Amino acid sequence: MLFAWMLLIVFLALIACMFEDLESDIGSQSNPNSQVQLAAQIGQVNRFFNKAISGEAPSYALYCTIAGVVAYVLLLKDVNPLLAIPIGALAGEAIHVIFSVTAHVGRTAAQKRFEQPIYLDVLYGHLLPIATHGFMATLCITAIAYIQCNLGTLSGMPALDHPFALPLLGFIWGITVGAIGSSTGDIHYGAEREFQDRPFGEGKRVVYHGKITRYADCGVRTQKDIAYFCAKYGGPITGFTFGLIILFESWRSLIGMMLGGYLPLQEAMASDTLLGTVARVATELIPAIPAAIGDLTAIIGIVVGLAIGIVLIVGNVVIVKWARKRYGPFVGE
Amino acid sequence: MDPILLIVVCVLAGGVLASLGVHLLPVGGAPAAMATATGVATGTVMLMLGAAMCGLFTAASVATYTSNILLVSLSGAVGSWLMMGVTMLLANLLYVFGAGVVPVSGRVDVDPITGQSQKEYKTPQCDGHGVPNVSYISGMIGALLGGFGGALMYFALLEYANFEPTMAGVAAMAIFVANAIIAAYNIGGTIEGFHDPKFKRLPKAILTCAIISLLSGVLVWVVANMGGLIG
Repeated sequence: MLFAWMLLIVFLALIACMFEDLESDIGSQSNPNSQVQLAAQIGQVNRFFNKAISGEAPSYALYCTIAGVVAYVLLLKDVNPLLAIPIGALAGEAIHVIFSVTAHVGRTAAQKRFEQPIYLDVLYGHLLPIATHGFMATLCITAIAYIQCNLGTLSGMPALDHPFALPLLGFIWGITVGAIGSSTGDIHYGAEREFQDRPFGEGKRVVYHGKITRYADCGVRTQKDIAYFCAKYGGPITGFTFGLIILFESWRSLIGMMLGGYLPLQEAMASDTLLGTVARVATELIPAIPAAIGDLTAIIGIVVGLAIGIVLIVGNVVIVKWARKRYGPFVGE
Repeated sequence: MDPILLIVVCVLAGGVLASLGVHLLPVGGAPAAMATATGVATGTVMLMLGAAMCGLFTAASVATYTSNILLVSLSGAVGSWLMMGVTMLLANLLYVFGAGVVPVSGRVDVDPITGQSQKEYKTPQCDGHGVPNVSYISGMIGALLGGFGGALMYFALLEYANFEPTMAGVAAMAIFVANAIIAAYNIGGTIEGFHDPKFKRLPKAILTCAIISLLSGVLVWVVANMGGLIG
């Protein structure tokens, strides 16, 4: 049962981070928005949604914490989690949409001197995709926080409940999902889609900065064309990043708990059998037993984590080597 | 050791390690999102905070079944190490397959660890692109140190200052953020890792962070004392 909940968390993490990245593409939330901002200043009037409320990590921490707090309060009032979590996410998204409007209108209004108009159809047309994608991300993060808070209770071993309160877990994963969405997902939008009429296979030179691709396959490009493109590679890879992190973190902890004896001990203590009574009495009389088991559990978790990290380093060496061989030195001017 | 001294020493060590960790991360900021600079395409504080929070989550779980400060801190360190490792690896996948660029350093001509030449693979008018091996390894070390520092502060607040777990998490994070921001000011936007000339600015940041952390440690002690948590 514990493994099933863990896998559900991993799946939710994958969905959350993918939608977070796509939302940041639709709203032009993060680093690549510097080019949207710059475009108008160098005379490139555009129909992009210019929304940089703050860095992705602090903004998602805000939405997820609001969602977590509202859900937490509702849960304290005995509201069913299936209702409390979506209502919390909805409250977080309401704040998100308010910030989206003020950020876009405020930033674009400030560009009046560069003759960048505020296109109302761009404003209205992007709010719903921003809200829906953001809602999915916030909903999944709040659900993850709820499951982790009650993991032990849900799987029959109360000791496994996470010590942090639901809003703090929402904050932690909000920060993390934003940091990941910003550091991985942005690349596909900033280095490729935003400069699609520039040569592929090279870093975007400083002279290109601000000269973003303003025309789509048909008509003038807006952020909706970008989400469609990034959903094919950038979004899933970003979701995969967060999913893998949660998977590795959970997996190494679980391996440690199983091999270190923590999980069998908790299972025994939770049972009503003779073995359970013996385990409860023994851990109470001899505190050194649970302490030793806890230490061993932590050590195994650390060793497994370090081993996974070394495999990741080797993976990077292989990718860099492959890219150097496949693409070769830079050719051109 | 006296609990007061323990709190102050742990917070001080945690803050200094956080600052050191931030300096080792390969942070490319906004230019990295356009493959114009080497490193991970986000801000210094956000990246370090994301990694440290990931470590803090695991450290808090581990602190429920062990009271060994080293094991809790190492668990936090490994949590951060995994977060950074996966993020940098998949960022490189996006650089290589999404943008078609070779990860290269813009600050050195030869990778100090693998010995691979960098200059001829770099796009002109760019300050490098992607996460080369030297930056990757530097980032992994930085994540280990930063995560260790964050978890160390959490454990001190939890066990020695007797904070409630959620409050200890919030306070540890707050002290961590203060140190990370000081380090980010020192870096000034982008840094590639320990091979970057900007890394030489480290002593100033360490000194500033030590002062900030010392003050934070004293403040924690005052709060714990006035709140009747210790003594």
